[in-house]
Amino acid sequence: MRMRKRHSRLKNKIIAKVITRFPSLAKGLIDAYTPRETEGIPWTPVRKPLSESIVGLVTTAGVHLRSQEPFVMTDPDGDPTYRKIGRDTPSEELMITHDYYDHADADRDINIVLPVERLKEFAREGVIGGVGPSMYSFMGHIVGPHLYTLMNVTAPAAAEGLLKDGVDCVLVTPG
Amino acid sequence: MGLVQRVIEGYGIPTVGISIVRQYTEKVKPPRTVFLRWPFGHPLGEPFNRAQQRAVLLKAFEALTGITVPGTIVDVPWQWKRERYE
Repeated sequence: MRMRKRHSRLKNKIIAKVITRFPSLAKGLIDAYTPRETEGIPWTPVRKPLSESIVGLVTTAGVHLRSQEPFVMTDPDGDPTYRKIGRDTPSEELMITHDYYDHADADRDINIVLPVERLKEFAREGVIGGVGPSMYSFMGHIVGPHLYTLMNVTAPAAAEGLLKDGVDCVLVTPG
Repeated sequence: MGLVQRVIEGYGIPTVGISIVRQYTEKVKPPRTVFLRWPFGHPLGEPFNRAQQRAVLLKAFEALTGITVPGTIVDVPWQWKRERYE
């Protein structure tokens, strides 16, 4: 069983490398994983000018602290949990666990999936009011029963965290 | 990604997402999105390309404050590795 899981992780990683290099090959995979159509669109109006707004950062790129539990990669339905990461964490303390995209470039510069340094620059320049104290990191590729957990347990918990953090708006980035 | 975004927006926080798979975004319907036809794992562009990363963020900010119709996807026409960013 363990052997099969290892093989399947390797297969996922190889596929991720190939489709990043040759995006046209990704079409079949994208079709296979296209999510169900959702109903309605939630909407909250922007209330503050950007220059006064604290911007929160949320990613589904599978980023976490080296000291945190990695995302579970052996479950084909994904891992619906999230990791909370302090805004001022040095990038050397961050890593990515996510077999479904090629993160070799993001491993070199985390800002291409989690643009925290760029947001801090904009805060210093006064383009935005500030950056939320915590970032919330999920992994994408969540299907099956974990979707329920994501939508009803873990994403709401992150949203409540963002409210407590006092952010005025949120940027969400994929992997 | 769009699903998490929808939950956060539902909690009363305005959100904007960056998408690299338009087909998913069309189905999931997050409130505000900028779409780039770039490879997986590179929503903000290339490593250490600060100007490019900043340009994408400015597009996202523009979408956040400018979009008035829920579900709007802004198509950013920048080609992968074929643009110059100041």
